[in-house]
Amino acid sequence: MTKLDPQKDYYAILELTPEADTETLKRAYRELARRHHPDSGSGDVEAFRLVQEAYDVLRDTALRRAYDRQRGRRGRDAEGPINWTMTLSRETLPALATQQMLYALVEIVSTAKETAGRQPLNLALVVDRSNSMRGIRMENVKLAALDLLDYLEPGDRLAMIAFNDRAEVLIPSTLASDKRNLRSPITSLVAGGGTEIYQGLLAGIEQVRRFGNAHKVNHVILLTDGRTYGDEERSLQEVQRATTSGIGVSAMGIGEDWNDFFLDNLAQRGGGISSYIQSPSQIRQMLRDHLQGLGSLLARDLKFVTNLTDYVQVQAVHRVLPHMEHLGTPQHNTIAVGRLEADQPIALLLDLLVEHNEVGRRRLARFELEGMLLKGDKPLRLRHDLEVTFAHSPQESPVPPRILNHLSRLSVYRLQERAWLALESGDAKQATSLLNVAATRLFDMGYRDLAQAALLEAGRMAQGAAPSSGGRKKLRYGTRALSIPTHTEPAQTEGVEHDR
Amino acid sequence: MTDKGSKVICPSCGAENLPGTLFCVQCGTYLPSGGPLRTEPLVEQAERRKEAGGKGDGDTAGKALSIEAEIINTGRKVLLSAEWEILAGRLDAAHGIFPELDMTADGGLEHGVSRRHARIYTRDGACFVEDLDSTNGTFLNNERLTSYLPFRFRNGDVLMLGTLQVKIHIYTGGN
Repeated sequence: MTKLDPQKDYYAILELTPEADTETLKRAYRELARRHHPDSGSGDVEAFRLVQEAYDVLRDTALRRAYDRQRGRRGRDAEGPINWTMTLSRETLPALATQQMLYALVEIVSTAKETAGRQPLNLALVVDRSNSMRGIRMENVKLAALDLLDYLEPGDRLAMIAFNDRAEVLIPSTLASDKRNLRSPITSLVAGGGTEIYQGLLAGIEQVRRFGNAHKVNHVILLTDGRTYGDEERSLQEVQRATTSGIGVSAMGIGEDWNDFFLDNLAQRGGGISSYIQSPSQIRQMLRDHLQGLGSLLARDLKFVTNLTDYVQVQAVHRVLPHMEHLGTPQHNTIAVGRLEADQPIALLLDLLVEHNEVGRRRLARFELEGMLLKGDKPLRLRHDLEVTFAHSPQESPVPPRILNHLSRLSVYRLQERAWLALESGDAKQATSLLNVAATRLFDMGYRDLAQAALLEAGRMAQGAAPSSGGRKKLRYGTRALSIPTHTEPAQTEGVEHDR
Repeated sequence: MTDKGSKVICPSCGAENLPGTLFCVQCGTYLPSGGPLRTEPLVEQAERRKEAGGKGDGDTAGKALSIEAEIINTGRKVLLSAEWEILAGRLDAAHGIFPELDMTADGGLEHGVSRRHARIYTRDGACFVEDLDSTNGTFLNNERLTSYLPFRFRNGDVLMLGTLQVKIHIYTGGN
């Protein structure tokens, strides 16, 4: 008996549209069945099974009708598991001969009601085994890696690479069902030597590539606690190359000595996340959370494309969810946004410079969202026209609170980011004043810890000292996480509910 | 017209900002001259957005819930989209609090409404309210809610934030 699963997008699996007729269906099935047949060179049992299931349902008129009906009930937009909306700070603008500011909040969300079964993972864990990892850090990494084994399902794959000045493949990519063979190399890992990230990354990407395919979550996770010297550029290029072949890269920094700007850049290009692990005991939790996110991946390689008219310029693009990050500079009209996880919406905030002095409704830009849906390896393309009305003296209307909430937090994040930039260009005075302002805003908002950290760093700079790397990381990773106005965070309510 | 085109001067650091700027580019201060100091969308606006939602190809599909809050003592009605979480409270720009349901104008302070008082959200078509450990509490049909615990409410229920009563109407679908 054929079973029918309305969670699965059978049309996408067969690379068809819901309008496809029986003839097209048959052809698509033959083509794909041949491609995925386990006896063929590029065989993939799981993909083959899915194709078979999809065909069995769709070729039966009664089943197909039942399937269409069930899919249809899940919302009109059943073909797209991803939706996006755009909110503007103003819908009506005064017609001005000068430039004015307009903010656009772009929100990308999953519309799937329930998370369909998780995609198989194809992972490589790239672990820094340099001298500085010795002791509690290495022990915690081992625990985290063993923990990860429990999370993996039989169809998942894991490779593990340990690197210092060179890389060693501790575990070549292995099916997770083979847990015994995975366990012992992890427990016998010892630290020693220097840190050279490139070698490790290269080996990790290589292992993932070997068994990579479009239906899996292909991902490399780098765990390091040190600085790499001289191979940054090569590492970035390698990650860029990996991204184009569907392999993502995330980076986790342990302790305080690693280069946060480098790892952020690496993860941004890799479409993954970068995280700051303050204490070794957090490694386990962070890795587990990360895995959970990867398991619920919906789309990869998301790109935000802007087609602008002469009336508008993009001044800056920031990500505000899941965490804050500067994404694009004006000269790029394609901005990499990374991946979308089912329970983790993405939000972008655009600063737009508008200049137009004629009354009427105008299209300012056409925005597109491109990417690859994991399910069925189908391309995603959404389009949105940015239109506003210009009037002579429009009535002022309130700004949507969502925009204000995001902007107020983003403005703090930007203040401290500008401080580090100012410092880098040698302007310690400017950096100090920016951090002081950031501290004031953080105090106001009730984030006392972060405010204190900002003051401390400002104090150091005022005296001509370099910022402490721990302080900088605490501030950067702390403020970028402010993007989620968590209602349950005690620091918030404590600082704010003092009325009455 | 010339007036609208002039730059916005930051009251805190004196920096010049382009018209329409909401937070000073220099110091991050909220610039109230960017708009009147209230946050709620006007009813007409919410309606218009709903209409617009129908034709844009990337827009929300299916059943959009909207919630109308009727503040009983002032008779003011606010239509809110339940597509996103709704924060109920009082606006405080310096603290970065911009509630979707802002009760400043309804005597919120006098009635003991906290700045971040409660949140309202929908899950699978049902509506929930959760008290955010407000000073004077949130009540649903006269029963005080445990903080940080979501409670389901229905069309016609009365919420009380501090001593401010709010009657809730729930509308389903775009019609």
